[in-house]
Amino acid sequence: MNSGGLDLRIEDLTVVYGGVTALDSVNITVPSGGFVTVLGANGAGKTTLVRSITSLLYLHKGRVRRGSIELGGKSILGRKSPQIVEDGVAQVPEGRKLFPNLTVKENLLCGAASRKDISGIDESLEQNLELFPQLRPLLNQTAGLLSGGEQQMVAVGRALMSQPALLICDELSLGLAPKIVHRLFELLTEINETRGTSILVIEQNASLALQHAADAYVLELGKVLIEGTADDLRGNPMVQELYLGGGGEAHTSYAAIERPGSRPDAHGQKPPVSES
Amino acid sequence: MTAVENPTPQQESNTYRPSPAQRFAPFVTAAVVPFILGATTGDMNFWWKALITVVVLAVVARLAWKWTPRGELTHREDMRLWRTPSDRSWAAATTFGLLVLPFILASDFTPPMDFPWATWFAVVNLVLIFAMGAAAFNLLVGYSGQISLAHVAFLALGSIVGGIVGVQWSGGNMWLALPAAAVAGAVVGAISGLPALRLKHLYLLLATFGFHFVMMLVWREYLQEYFGFVGIRFKGENSPRIASWLHWLPGIDPDQNGEFVITGQFRWYWVLMPITVLSILFMVNVVRTREGRAFAAVRDRDVSASLLGINVARSKLFAFALSSAIVSMSGVLASFYIGSRGEDSFNVQTVLNYAIIIVVGGFSSIQGAIFGSAFFWFLPEWFKWAREELWFVRDIDFLSDYPSEIDLAIKGFLVVIILMFKPDGLAGLWRDFKNWLGRSLARNKP
Amino acid sequence: MLLAFGNFTADPSVNLQLLIGGLALGAIYAVVALGFVLVYKSTDVLNLAHGEFLMLGAYFALTFLISENLNFFLGVFVLLLVMLVFGLLVHYGIMRRMVGQGFFAIVLITLGIATIIRALLLIFYGPTERARLDLLPQGSFEIGGATVRHVDIIIFAVVAACVLLFFLFFKYTRLGLHMRAVADDIEAAAAMGIDPDKVYAMTWAAAMVMAGVGGLLFGHVTGAIDRSIEAIGLRAFPAAVVGGLTSLGGSIVGGLVVGVIEQFANGHLGTKWREPVAFSVMFVVLLVRPTGLWGRKDLERV
Repeated sequence: MNSGGLDLRIEDLTVVYGGVTALDSVNITVPSGGFVTVLGANGAGKTTLVRSITSLLYLHKGRVRRGSIELGGKSILGRKSPQIVEDGVAQVPEGRKLFPNLTVKENLLCGAASRKDISGIDESLEQNLELFPQLRPLLNQTAGLLSGGEQQMVAVGRALMSQPALLICDELSLGLAPKIVHRLFELLTEINETRGTSILVIEQNASLALQHAADAYVLELGKVLIEGTADDLRGNPMVQELYLGGGGEAHTSYAAIERPGSRPDAHGQKPPVSES
Repeated sequence: MTAVENPTPQQESNTYRPSPAQRFAPFVTAAVVPFILGATTGDMNFWWKALITVVVLAVVARLAWKWTPRGELTHREDMRLWRTPSDRSWAAATTFGLLVLPFILASDFTPPMDFPWATWFAVVNLVLIFAMGAAAFNLLVGYSGQISLAHVAFLALGSIVGGIVGVQWSGGNMWLALPAAAVAGAVVGAISGLPALRLKHLYLLLATFGFHFVMMLVWREYLQEYFGFVGIRFKGENSPRIASWLHWLPGIDPDQNGEFVITGQFRWYWVLMPITVLSILFMVNVVRTREGRAFAAVRDRDVSASLLGINVARSKLFAFALSSAIVSMSGVLASFYIGSRGEDSFNVQTVLNYAIIIVVGGFSSIQGAIFGSAFFWFLPEWFKWAREELWFVRDIDFLSDYPSEIDLAIKGFLVVIILMFKPDGLAGLWRDFKNWLGRSLARNKP
Repeated sequence: MLLAFGNFTADPSVNLQLLIGGLALGAIYAVVALGFVLVYKSTDVLNLAHGEFLMLGAYFALTFLISENLNFFLGVFVLLLVMLVFGLLVHYGIMRRMVGQGFFAIVLITLGIATIIRALLLIFYGPTERARLDLLPQGSFEIGGATVRHVDIIIFAVVAACVLLFFLFFKYTRLGLHMRAVADDIEAAAAMGIDPDKVYAMTWAAAMVMAGVGGLLFGHVTGAIDRSIEAIGLRAFPAAVVGGLTSLGGSIVGGLVVGVIEQFANGHLGTKWREPVAFSVMFVVLLVRPTGLWGRKDLERV
């Protein structure tokens, strides 16, 4: 239905869980029709970023303290997640998160939950099956019984069912064979080029993400540490050291790297004791 | 530690250590003064007594505050039950309050507007019994996360043991029935906890609820076999008494027939209060031990706990046994205190009542049970008084037409509202209040 | 402790009568169990207030069908509509804020709701018991020396129809699909643009409507309508568990199995054995097959 993408503009985004700051004044921009990747280690705040965009923080008792998120020039902060999907944001959640007891077809149909044009859904389903021909014989299988790669395809297909203007993929590579991840990234590039969908990829696997993306950000302890074009980042010694495995001048340890404005409470304060 | 090797004046004043005498002085004061007051101020005006009480409370709390170790604590000090100045102040004040309370309640004081002074003593005693049972219940479901609805079954078990050991065997020996109930409760509790090794959440809840019905059957069979429909009589000739070889104790003076029967609110208070306080302290202490921390670990994620080397099965069964033992003991106390137990003494509503108590008091806080049970028993009393005396409530016919139903509705709404807005309940509010008080006191310091 | 095990009888007509009574009781259990299953399946909430919901339905049936003397179909329509509104009220007023809270906190809040409903019904309807409903055909016929009431057959037919209806709804409608998706993984469903809030509201409304149907049916077979009928909620637990709390069809099978077992325990061992036997059956099923005979098995991620 809609071809082309929308731009996403995140400004000064600060997110807290209880008293813990997960994102601190983050600025990220995905241009319309762009392909952007956000890199970061565990706990860098990548998933929190996705949850803030898709308004799912409330399920984890987090909240946005400040900042703005705009999609196509319209603020989507404070809108509920179904509305945001209607606005054109679709996501491939971390760990795939299929509905395990539903069949593949039902999973795909769930992706079209926000669509008003019932007649167009079958068409999208067919498009998806052309994109992932492997899924055709599996349509009536229970999704929980598929292999990891097949599940990830269903997850991507499910997200595409809403014909998004912006597709967010969280940790696409998690637990999958390199070959499959490679194939998935090629598909994303294809979707990005043919349909003009804006794509935001959250990744730990930096080399692959930097190959396909145009712009990249490195998130570290809730802050944007480095930003630039993917080519710039590939040449950046710090990125090479941390995410591309060696090269560049050797930093002796992770902690030795000077971080601009690293959080004081990362070292100074005791971690909060979890109570329940 | 470098601070110790090279103390600067600043640090020295920060690491303050009271002498042992200083450490215990506030508590000794708190324990002794009430009896002196009780013995000496017999015909003093009530308001004078109240004034003295408040002053002593303040002094005791202040001393406890002053004589608390400060600065960098050793591990031993860190593990103490009452660690911070505010903990110690509250503990000292509570000790004093608990000891002075019966003297105040026993005085023939008539508060303005016919506030029902006399009946409140009975309520206080009920609060003590329920607090003990609810705290044990909370240790199991709140702290250890083993969801159970079988606690009323253990109250019934307490009554059965009280009936067999306390009435049929010994004709009113509650002292024998208490340990017997603890043992029986622990054994049956561990058995009732067996499903917990396999079931969780919902399924465990249902299994324990099934156990409740089985126990109810046993209770009814037992009653019909030996006592008939009138139920067990725990009062009169079966009332507990203090053995004659203990009559030398201060404060015990035997009746004409040479017996000291525990009857009347004042005497009961001195039986119930120490047992309740000791058992709650015991549970709070268990939670602080290795075994108790294992409870929490198993609650949060039992698979991970087992990877840490915690014997999950043992830990779960221990939680069940401990909780059930104490609930059974409170069942014995309740039977002897209330005086009779019949066919319908235990029902599903009792299960709900305990649930209400722990929710209102504060889920997963053992001490919260005290607040919860106080609230549970005082609310209807207060409401009754309000209906009769408060001018703006008295004239609403609707309220006086449906007293118990409205009590029930209020309790229901409270449970819902507390769970929605303040899940830590009254214990959480109390903690907030203490923190606020501590902060504002600290702010006023130079 | 002497237990009366003595009066086992081989008389086939007595056993047939017990069987038929058990099936009738089982049909009622199935109605209630279906309410549990609906809520548990999509919201993961064990609704301990379902007995009270049912009591609400029975009292409303009394109001609309007897006191107001509405036409039967109009009255039933109004009854179900009112129940639906109450269901939405339960969700938007209370349960909505509890999403994401601990399991036991949610169980306790349903107990709170149960307490409120019970208190309010007592206040507005008073403690006096009312005669049971008599709107469905009251006759009976005989098979092999055992009496079968028409009401029981109607109840069974209604339950079966409801189960079929819900099955079709879950299988073939978009909303049904979304409800199953939310039941599977609420976060993923929300990420796909399914509004869990709406789905939960629908679930509670459906459960309330089911309780309205249950109240109407149970109101015909209970001795009298008074505050004690909420106990049916507890007594139907074994049925719901034996059938499997996530299976619609399971609620019928579980209801019938438990109903028959209970009725035989009642007839051969005595009334006091009814509940213990039912709960023991539940207990055994829980230990052997915690998800019930037809329940879905959930995998736990560590």
